[in-house]
Amino acid sequence: MARLRTGIPGLDEMLMGGFMEGDAVLVAGNAGTGKTTFGLQYLVNGIVQYGENGVLITFEQLPDQIYRDAMTFGWDLRKLEEENKIRIILTSPPVLMKMIEASMFDELIRDVSPRRIVIDSISHLETYVSPSELRKEVYRLLMYFKSKGLSSLLTWEVANLMNSGSPTEGVSINFLVDAIILLKLVEIESSMRRALLVLKMRGSDHDKTLREYLITSQGIKLSSPFAGYEGIITGTPRSTRLTEDSLREWAKAFGRKG
Amino acid sequence: MYDTENLIKRLLSSETKGDLLTLFHRNPGLIDTMEGIALRIGKRGDAIEAEVRDLADLGMLRISKLGDYEVVSLDVKRDMEIQHAITKYLESKSRGREV
Repeated sequence: MARLRTGIPGLDEMLMGGFMEGDAVLVAGNAGTGKTTFGLQYLVNGIVQYGENGVLITFEQLPDQIYRDAMTFGWDLRKLEEENKIRIILTSPPVLMKMIEASMFDELIRDVSPRRIVIDSISHLETYVSPSELRKEVYRLLMYFKSKGLSSLLTWEVANLMNSGSPTEGVSINFLVDAIILLKLVEIESSMRRALLVLKMRGSDHDKTLREYLITSQGIKLSSPFAGYEGIITGTPRSTRLTEDSLREWAKAFGRKG
Repeated sequence: MYDTENLIKRLLSSETKGDLLTLFHRNPGLIDTMEGIALRIGKRGDAIEAEVRDLADLGMLRISKLGDYEVVSLDVKRDMEIQHAITKYLESKSRGREV
């Protein structure tokens, strides 16, 4: 089965070569975890490194702002758009659904010949449809992309910033997507760090370790696995290492008993 | 052919038109309902409708029917033509002043 490499340093190794071609991927995380950067990097790497054109659909952020932010990573989206390798569409969810219904989106696909599509963010659909409709509408959207041979990546914003529990709790579309990447802010020893987990990957093995990642001037870069901590995903990280102080306390208590 | 002077007057006839042109030039991939477009410049749909229709009449914007929705987008090709015509007009004007 062909794989779609993300080009994100360290991630493709975790995914055993990349996402499966044609799959729908959900990237879920809190604000500030880099979901948009993840999506952009996936698209830009697709074009620049693998010759695969892409489409970005944004519901909130103005493309103007996206062009500017992308430039800080050295990604010239305007140039790529002029070369007809990427198309950035700013719209609202009901209009997107109507565009698909009216075959208006087919024109865009014919025009750009994309292999990858990113929707930033699918959470906006929630404001237009009821929870039961949400699942149906996302299913319709994903099936449309699959029928056109597109690999899709959807971002999902988790509302509570420092929640305990899994960032995909309550997301009714977990079962519709083929892979889930979880991004999470964690507080460890009084500093904020970022953690990535491949939560699900249908039909493929993957690295199950929790990895720290950095947002560098070249984009997202995976770092080493979080070692020596537990409870990171549930929001209450604890060191599993015995500290010098705790060892001293333990020795004192042991000494007293002895 | 356009009457370029009249065209420029119509383009600059209101602040809202200026806001709309700036919005579409900076974000050429914008496609949304009247209300959705208005939201992106901090206004309400009914406050921009007349201006949007005038810009559509000039050919810069395109209004398409999508089922029961009316969506607005930039007509990139027509927009380029109009920009080209304005540039030529302004150049000829400045040459006239120099003489």
